[in-house]
Amino acid sequence: MPDDPKPEGASAGPDKPADGEKPPAAKPAAPPAAKPAAPAAKPAAPAAHAAPKPPAPMATTPWESDLTASLKEQFGDGITEFSTYLGQNFLVAKPAAVIPIIEFLKLEQDFDYLVDLTAVDYPKRAERFDLIYILYSFARNERIRVKTMIAEGARPGTVCGVHLTANWLEREVFDMFGIQFEGHPDMRRILLPEEWEGHPLRKDYSILQQDQRWVQENLGIESGQ
Amino acid sequence: MKKFFRAVFFVDLIQGLWVTFRNQNPKYIYTEQYPAERPKVAERYRGAPRLNINPENGETLCIACNLCALACPENLIVVTSERNEATRRKELTTFTYDTSRCMFCGLCEDACPVDALELTQDFELASYTREGAIWDRQMLEEGPKPTQYKC
Amino acid sequence: MADATFLDSTELVLNMGPQHPSTHGVLRVILKLDGEKVLGTDCVIGYLHRGVEKIAENRTYQQFNPYVDRMDYVAAVSNGLGYCLAVEKLLNVEAPPRAQVTRVILTELNRIASHLLWLGTHALDIGAITPVFYCFREREEILKIFENYCGARLTTHAFRIGGLQYELYDGFEEQCKAFCDMFLPKVDEYEELLTSNRIWVSRLKGVGILNAEECKEYGVTGPVLRAAGVKWDLRKAQPYSGYEQYDFDIPTAQNGDTYDRYSVRMQEMRQSVRIIRQAVDKIPSGPIGKTPKVVKPATGEVYVSIEAPKGELGYFIVSDNSTQPYRVRVRPPSFINLQALDRMVRGGLVADVVAIIGTLDIVLGEVDR
Repeated sequence: MPDDPKPEGASAGPDKPADGEKPPAAKPAAPPAAKPAAPAAKPAAPAAHAAPKPPAPMATTPWESDLTASLKEQFGDGITEFSTYLGQNFLVAKPAAVIPIIEFLKLEQDFDYLVDLTAVDYPKRAERFDLIYILYSFARNERIRVKTMIAEGARPGTVCGVHLTANWLEREVFDMFGIQFEGHPDMRRILLPEEWEGHPLRKDYSILQQDQRWVQENLGIESGQ
Repeated sequence: MKKFFRAVFFVDLIQGLWVTFRNQNPKYIYTEQYPAERPKVAERYRGAPRLNINPENGETLCIACNLCALACPENLIVVTSERNEATRRKELTTFTYDTSRCMFCGLCEDACPVDALELTQDFELASYTREGAIWDRQMLEEGPKPTQYKC
Repeated sequence: MADATFLDSTELVLNMGPQHPSTHGVLRVILKLDGEKVLGTDCVIGYLHRGVEKIAENRTYQQFNPYVDRMDYVAAVSNGLGYCLAVEKLLNVEAPPRAQVTRVILTELNRIASHLLWLGTHALDIGAITPVFYCFREREEILKIFENYCGARLTTHAFRIGGLQYELYDGFEEQCKAFCDMFLPKVDEYEELLTSNRIWVSRLKGVGILNAEECKEYGVTGPVLRAAGVKWDLRKAQPYSGYEQYDFDIPTAQNGDTYDRYSVRMQEMRQSVRIIRQAVDKIPSGPIGKTPKVVKPATGEVYVSIEAPKGELGYFIVSDNSTQPYRVRVRPPSFINLQALDRMVRGGLVADVVAIIGTLDIVLGEVDR
């Protein structure tokens, strides 16, 4: 039963990191009311993840496992939250800690496959963009998300050095959101033309908006609409 | 030695050519003589839209509930209606459907509660003008009438 | 007076432009050549960028369903499956068993159709003109099944959130079984045409090698990864929609070259037929699912991925408790596989570039979205 090891794992996690149990990422059927006995992590109640409108924030449950224990040990307060939503684990980290975390996950914890790298725009927040890295481990058959919040104009470091696949993924994030990655070998637009101005997936870019000047110069028509 | 003979006598080539010539049998001819024979499409084919008419009294089945317009991802259906004081119901006045932007996804057909709007098996929707692709109620009820050719 | 240096080989930049019969869509590859040897490439994509992710933010969940078919337009049913599974996970509903089995049948038919198109066009790029006709003839049978089921051949919009829209038509099981019986000898036919053909072997063996380490570094998934020797398939590793009930193998190969990818895909077609045969025998009766009237998932985000014919197709959906998704991110397998093109063509010839683009099985609709 997926529920049975969970309460034991939750309370025994930080004490016995070499527990050898699978992280309780199975089914969130009845999230145990066992708030982790560990004092380190803040209880992940309506955490750092408020929706843009007042409606209820994401109903996450705290996530504890030997993986989180070793991460906590390495990075301490670089990671602000360990949560699970709908059975998918994620952690929220500070922007400066992200590359060391991803490197640690790849070298020490076998998360050798960067599945996706994307961003979400929450314009009403101070830290406008949510940068999301989805990692997968072949050995453990597990997926994990690393989230961080960055402000507009911030230049997060590139993970190309750790995962080669991030090259085009970061170019796409730059293209769509305008987030420049420090140290990227080839930071230019990938899907839109080079001279396009504007970053379409930002919320202030309307769906009917386009770079009129580019369209008129290059396509010779008044407007594409 | 066997390899030598296989190479010199092009054995793999002959094997491949045999497959090709085996399929040259005239019974496999597939060509349809369009437009004399029109292709038969499936019963559920999502083609031209049609507003159905009640066969008994010749009135439209549409109750002007606007669900199709709300379901359409491209917002290309415009339904107007007026309230009939006698029966105290809404009656359909105009129904505009823009087939030039339609992607024939079938969401409008799924949404209609009375099966008035249906995507039929007509696929010949071409028109000489852009305006001709915007269908009004009459066009929707009659359907496109493609020219029938006799061979 | 001729300058003797003009005979020195210098780097030549050649543009394999967006309009090219072998680039499988509007892909522009800028090749840096030394004579005929390729030193490096630069892919320019975005010619088919339609802003699908932006459109998603302006449509309701059900309204967005037809748009996902248009991304990987060759295998539209898988896109729909991934999206529906992701939204169903957000809503915490599960499609009823009858819908799940039907989804598996249609998805596997779709996988065969995608691989057939891949085989036909790849063979055509290499120069073999016959397979494309045979592959399209078989693909026609599959498209007829799709048309009979949902009314459209290519942009099927077959699935809905919560299950299916259309009930199975009379004769669905018979048509699927007849297709399976007809199809397996045809796969043998294709292998007869190509597998030991000396031209095919010499064009494909040793070309575009990407070993397992490089595949994982580049995030490449799908048949490319399996041809490098990694026995990983999302249908077995993280089963969805009832795949754990079916008995099938995961074909792999050793070298990770183009010939291995060809044999992996041929084997996958056979395994798909096996799955379809098992599934058709066990379609349960019951409801086919009902989309909730108002799809308004709770605030949250979810990432669901499936094994599309091209690789791992993932949907990352962020919801803000309204009827429209806040962000839909599609993780396109073709986009990420295409990144590995640069590594694979180094040291090859220009003709190998064509073979490698073909073997990666990219669809520009998915690369650009």
